Amino acid sequence: MTPVIEARNLSRWYGNVLGISEINLDIEPGITALLGPNGAGKSTFMKIITGQLKPNLGQVRIYGQPVWNNREIFRRLGFCPEVDAFYEELNGQEFLTGLLSFYGFGEAECQKRALQALEMVGLQDVARRPIRSYSRGMRQRIKIAQTVAHDPDILILDEPLSGLDPLSKRRVIRLIKEFRLAGKTVVVSSHVLPEVEAMTSEIILIHHGKILARGDIHFIRELLDSHPHMIRIKSPHFRELARLLAGEEYILNITFEPQVSAVVFETHHRDKFYDRLNELILDSDLRLEEITSPDDNLQAVFDYLVER
Amino acid sequence: MKKEILRVFSFYFYSGKKSSRARTFFLLSAASVLMSLVIRAYQLAGNWTESGQVVFQNFLMVFFLQFLIVLLALFYGSSLVVEELDNRTMPYLITRPVRRAAIILGKYLAYLSLATIMLFSSVLLSYLILNLGPEFSLEDLETVIRYSLILWMGLAAYLSFFGFLSTWLKKPILVGLAFGFGWESVIQYFPGTTQKLSVAHYLKSLLPQYTTSGGKLGFLFIRLEPTRPLLAVLILVGIVALFLTLACIIFSYREYLFED
Repeated sequence: MTPVIEARNLSRWYGNVLGISEINLDIEPGITALLGPNGAGKSTFMKIITGQLKPNLGQVRIYGQPVWNNREIFRRLGFCPEVDAFYEELNGQEFLTGLLSFYGFGEAECQKRALQALEMVGLQDVARRPIRSYSRGMRQRIKIAQTVAHDPDILILDEPLSGLDPLSKRRVIRLIKEFRLAGKTVVVSSHVLPEVEAMTSEIILIHHGKILARGDIHFIRELLDSHPHMIRIKSPHFRELARLLAGEEYILNITFEPQVSAVVFETHHRDKFYDRLNELILDSDLRLEEITSPDDNLQAVFDYLVER
Repeated sequence: MKKEILRVFSFYFYSGKKSSRARTFFLLSAASVLMSLVIRAYQLAGNWTESGQVVFQNFLMVFFLQFLIVLLALFYGSSLVVEELDNRTMPYLITRPVRRAAIILGKYLAYLSLATIMLFSSVLLSYLILNLGPEFSLEDLETVIRYSLILWMGLAAYLSFFGFLSTWLKKPILVGLAFGFGWESVIQYFPGTTQKLSVAHYLKSLLPQYTTSGGKLGFLFIRLEPTRPLLAVLILVGIVALFLTLACIIFSYREYLFED
């Protein structure tokens, strides 16, 4: 399949700080997720492919054309920025119609498309409310509405699920999947693996400005599962819990925190650990107060992968 | 290009109208109306001896020419690009199928129009309050229109300069303040050609009847060596064209980053 977006040796730095380094990518129609911790270079890559930044080295082409100042490409592009920023004095409908007018649509067409987009993200009831009065989730959804309102062929979504409640997340994920079905190209960034899993199986791991791995979700999952996880459980029966789990072969280490009645398990099989924990809770009278994962963030996983 | 400029103009004129900044500046520009009302009340009570024309001339030179148009142009012009960076709305603009030059020109025209409405309504109302009476003639109306147009040319010139600063500098407001209320206020009193390095010089040159003005504010005109009116108009038009062109070029080729 012909790639829609081609990045060749793409490098960008901000003074002495590296944004991205020698990125080579072909992105085809469908959903491609950029997964990486904050500061990995996802946003820099997205800003370059949307013509907001120029690469210091290398080049990016969309449909075979350079992006910078290319109005033909911009016409086919929808960009959802990560930042929570708006023309606050406008209401949702005015915001969308105003931005739609930049595409040369007539007044009636702008209104029609704006209403469709608002409906798509479930904001039709608050269309005439000032954006400044919107909740965090509503603001995120209106950002998505402005991305899709002009029916672009390519959607670049920078952390589109951030700040959304579970229901809105499902709605947006469904919307993104509909775009894939319509043959469009969607590039979405996230630092939350389960969110990405819900959208696509095509994932690019990006870290410290470089592409660490590219593959389908199973490949990525395999990489991540080999990472030892820390799970901290607070319970009045923390010693009993440790005794019951100590014999399991996937437990690598156990540390006690008696002053707060907690125990920290280190495991390289998180799923097995949680299955067993569920069984223990059901079978015995163990009472748990809190379960947290001190290192359950992508940064820790990526650091582990880089070191390995 | 014209259509793109018009699209940007419509968006920013509309959003600009609804902004709190517009309300603030509208109130500020209405200060002269308020002052006019107070003075007129004093006149009617017989406690003010100067004619409405003289009072208005003072308003024109001190409030409108050296304060209001500079201030309006400074805040609207400086915000041309910087507000998009400060408010982080730049991505909404520069990922649209609109030339970057059209963004600058459209925003410039939108903000010039908003500032013009404020200026004209303020000038007209002040003039009418101070001069409306049995002797008011059509000639008076022509005078106020001429004054308004001269001020408008100043507004356009300042706005283009501050707009250019906005595309070039991260903090244009400081340089703008130093230029608008420092350089412009001082340099026009220098003798010889030095005074011609200010926009105010050309605006004052278009008000020849005041060059020999006496009175309380006569010191403001004492050193003016006026440029011929036609040349002054051409230079003001040239300033607008030059700085808008520079702003368009810089904005078209420059990257704008904001802190993430």
